[in-house]
Amino acid sequence: MSETYDFLFKFLVIGSAGTGKSCLLHQFIENKFKQDSNHTIGVEFGSRVVNVGGKTVKLQIWDTAGQERFRSVTRSYYRGAAGALLVYDITSRETYNALTNWLTDARTLASPNIVIILCGNKKDLDAEREVTFLEASRFAQENELIFLETSALTGENVEEGFLKCARTILNKIDSGELDPERMGSGIQYGDASLRQLRQPRDTTTQNKQQCNC
Amino acid sequence: MMERAMEQLNVQLSRLTRSLRRARTVELPEDNETAVYTLMPMVMADQHRSVSELLLNSKFDVNYAFGRVKRSLLHIAANCGSVECLVLLLKRGANPNYQDISGCTPLHLAARNGQKKCMGKLLEYNADVNICNNEGLTAIHWLAVNGRTELLHDLVQHVSNVDVEDAMGQTALHVACQNGHKTTVLCLLDSGADINRSNVSGATPLYFACSHGQRDTAQILLSHGAKYLADKNGITPLDLCVQGGYGETCEILIQHHARLFQTLIQMTQNEDVKENMLRQVLEHVSQQNDIHYQRVLTSLAEVATTNGHKLLSLSSSYEAQMKSLLRIVRIFCHVFRLGPSSPNNGNDMGYNGNKTPRSQVFKPLELLWHSLDEWLMLISTELERTRKNPSSSSSSSEIASLLLKQRESDHSGTTPKLSLLDHQIVMEAEAYVDGEDVISMTANRLSAVIQAFYMCCSCQMPQGMTSPRFIEFVCKHDEVLKCFVTRDPKIIFNHFHFLLECPELMSRFMHIIKNQPFKDRCEWFYEHLLAGQPDSDMVHRPVNESDILLIHRDSIFRSSCEMVSKSTNEKLKQGIAVRFHGEEGMGQGVVREWFDILSNEIINPDYALFTQSADGTTFQPNSNSSVNPDHLNYFQFAGQILGLALYHRQLVNIYFTRSFYKHILGIPVNYQDVSSIDPEYAKNLQWILDNDISDLGLELTFSVETDVFGAMEEVPLKPGGSSILVTQDNKAEYVQLVTELRMTRAIQPQINAFLQGFHTFIPPSLIQLFDEYELVIQLVTFVTYRNPRFYKYRRSPLSYC
Repeated sequence: MSETYDFLFKFLVIGSAGTGKSCLLHQFIENKFKQDSNHTIGVEFGSRVVNVGGKTVKLQIWDTAGQERFRSVTRSYYRGAAGALLVYDITSRETYNALTNWLTDARTLASPNIVIILCGNKKDLDAEREVTFLEASRFAQENELIFLETSALTGENVEEGFLKCARTILNKIDSGELDPERMGSGIQYGDASLRQLRQPRDTTTQNKQQCNC
Repeated sequence: MMERAMEQLNVQLSRLTRSLRRARTVELPEDNETAVYTLMPMVMADQHRSVSELLLNSKFDVNYAFGRVKRSLLHIAANCGSVECLVLLLKRGANPNYQDISGCTPLHLAARNGQKKCMGKLLEYNADVNICNNEGLTAIHWLAVNGRTELLHDLVQHVSNVDVEDAMGQTALHVACQNGHKTTVLCLLDSGADINRSNVSGATPLYFACSHGQRDTAQILLSHGAKYLADKNGITPLDLCVQGGYGETCEILIQHHARLFQTLIQMTQNEDVKENMLRQVLEHVSQQNDIHYQRVLTSLAEVATTNGHKLLSLSSSYEAQMKSLLRIVRIFCHVFRLGPSSPNNGNDMGYNGNKTPRSQVFKPLELLWHSLDEWLMLISTELERTRKNPSSSSSSSEIASLLLKQRESDHSGTTPKLSLLDHQIVMEAEAYVDGEDVISMTANRLSAVIQAFYMCCSCQMPQGMTSPRFIEFVCKHDEVLKCFVTRDPKIIFNHFHFLLECPELMSRFMHIIKNQPFKDRCEWFYEHLLAGQPDSDMVHRPVNESDILLIHRDSIFRSSCEMVSKSTNEKLKQGIAVRFHGEEGMGQGVVREWFDILSNEIINPDYALFTQSADGTTFQPNSNSSVNPDHLNYFQFAGQILGLALYHRQLVNIYFTRSFYKHILGIPVNYQDVSSIDPEYAKNLQWILDNDISDLGLELTFSVETDVFGAMEEVPLKPGGSSILVTQDNKAEYVQLVTELRMTRAIQPQINAFLQGFHTFIPPSLIQLFDEYELVIQLVTFVTYRNPRFYKYRRSPLSYC
């Protein structure tokens, strides 16, 4: 029947228009680069079940439009997100400069405990780089963000970005910093934990496979 | 010699007397087959003395198997509980483990039929309790099936393996759980039965308890530590409970595995789960206590919100997400309306704003409604932008594509980027291009969310009232909604059902709806008319004898009136069954005939209810119908018949005047309608309107003279009308008033009575979907298509069929 998982996390992908948010999501879900990508209209949706630290987690990912005219619509999706990928384009300083605004939005509209990963996308276009790694990592440090440079084209660091975010949230649950039962936490329990009892071997082997990549 | 002969004779004589006294043979026949049939009835009746006597000196083989299933007499004794015979047979060496053709031993049969004493004796004579029959069933299986706990207790100590499996891998515990024998289950568990044993398809005892909704058994299993395991197809005990609508069993599962609650809620998204069963389960769970109620609803609201947001993602499947959202919201509203279990909250319907805790459950949905609102505002902005640049949609797209190409070529050559200005132009052009697209891609999805919003708003309101919040919402987004339905009128029929329930909102969309094909409106009309009826296939359903309308042919009007008034509206809505007095015929044909001849009778001049119009073919209420003292009751009856005909898609044989159809529809009449009752007069009215009347000296006043049974009476058209002159300036008002007098005021009581009857079956909100021409088509057409009378109504009949 339906897929089983231990947790469900609600994720957001935010950032200025044309930074490659939809391509990141596509790469993460389909393992392919999305050619001829159009502007996202409103909000798109995707999901994938991953294994993180021995737990199966379903990521419910909301990919928002970057265009200003959709801003009010996309904002209405922020509430109750457990994690977010904040994306800028390393070849466009404009998108980097806008980060502060996006960050404020996310922290005020989503849950205050939201785990945010900063993604400098289009890493493959190093020749046209306008934002250095160092500069961005400093920004990340100041704002307590995890930072990665990614490429939706080659797939570099894409998986890592999503998994790192999920892992951080799981750690916070383990340490008690996050309470999944609280409303609006963006986290839900699945019923897999009950079924695991039956097939503990299967799950561990799967984990190993997943961890290798 | 003599003595021996005498002795033999004596023996024979005594046998004869004994035989005669007992009315049966006292000596067993030689051959086993005949003997066994002699003995069988005695064994069945446990006549052990007779049996013992017969067996005494015979050579009968007590293990002789006979009949189709090859049973021995010991089987018979065990089966019937003939314990004395059983002991007798055992003593004579009957094999206690003899198996019949299906592999059953006497012990199996004793166990199946709960023959306690026989079982005891069989065990005493070393009957083997572990023998399986051909299906793999042992004695304990049989005891478990029928819940014979006491016997099981005795037997189980002899059993080497309580988990012995039948051919399907089922143990006694499985079958006991399936049948919900609580004490049996406990006894088996105490005897060490494997609580998590799975059969060949992976089903555990808990699985079986859940598949049959055995709440108490599930409770016992869970409190004894049964694991929650799915079968080999991944079907879980919870799935089974929901499939069967076993709310109580679900409740038990959730009590022991709290996380199943979320799983249950998530099942609302699964298309394969039967909605009514799931609703039943959620209904039960929510009714446990206030906390459950809040939790079920809050979770449903959360799931609905996620679903709604998915629906608003353009890459999701519209069809699937829309159905899912509406299903969840339907269940949500249903559970909400039921209210929490505690009665003190029963009166609080939750419409006192957000302060009452009950309405808190709507909170998660606010996110969705907020998104909906933002979307509609976004579209409103897009619309405005398109309006400001009317040419943009075509020309700017060309510019945009041109610029885009240019940019691409720039990119490939890695030459410097576009100037900022160019970039902006591209962005703006793009905005215009997909502005149109945004609307066409989202209209259906947003409309479905609006439908969900309406459902949630109205479930907080008393029946029949529209939530002010929803009205405000529609008013706020009036322009966008109109734009949606103008582009795709199907949206009205698919999602804007609220219009039929809110007349104040309907008027905004009426002009668009009226432009839709007659066929679509007809479908919508019947869909809503019959929405409350359990079975749409009404005429064919078997009828209760007392619900048949028994009509006398010679007094069809009176007897019909009597029968209809005796029946209830609800019954008449469910279906009509007619039988003519002294005739046998029933069914559709008779119903059709009844409508046909009854409608002819209604316009019979003898009743003075309707008069012919000027052309002699159409009818309208007779202003002098009061000669018939009961006339208003009859008008109501006529209205009922017309309503019923429309309700059940029957055709009638009456053509009313156009103005009377307008009255039925609630459309105001105009002076042109007068022509149907008085064409000359209509021409005169037309003339007054067309010509300047100031200098003609007509000396008309706002009053008319009417002939009431031969006497002329002056009737003012408005208060003090007889002293107000008709002038060039007020002639239009005069024409309208005079029209209303002729067409309406004179027959107002009749119209009102008629409509009162009509509206009991057809609500005014629905009939207004049609115009007067279409009403004729619905009521009279097809069969009478060739009728020349119809021509006057034919606008373009082909477009209707």
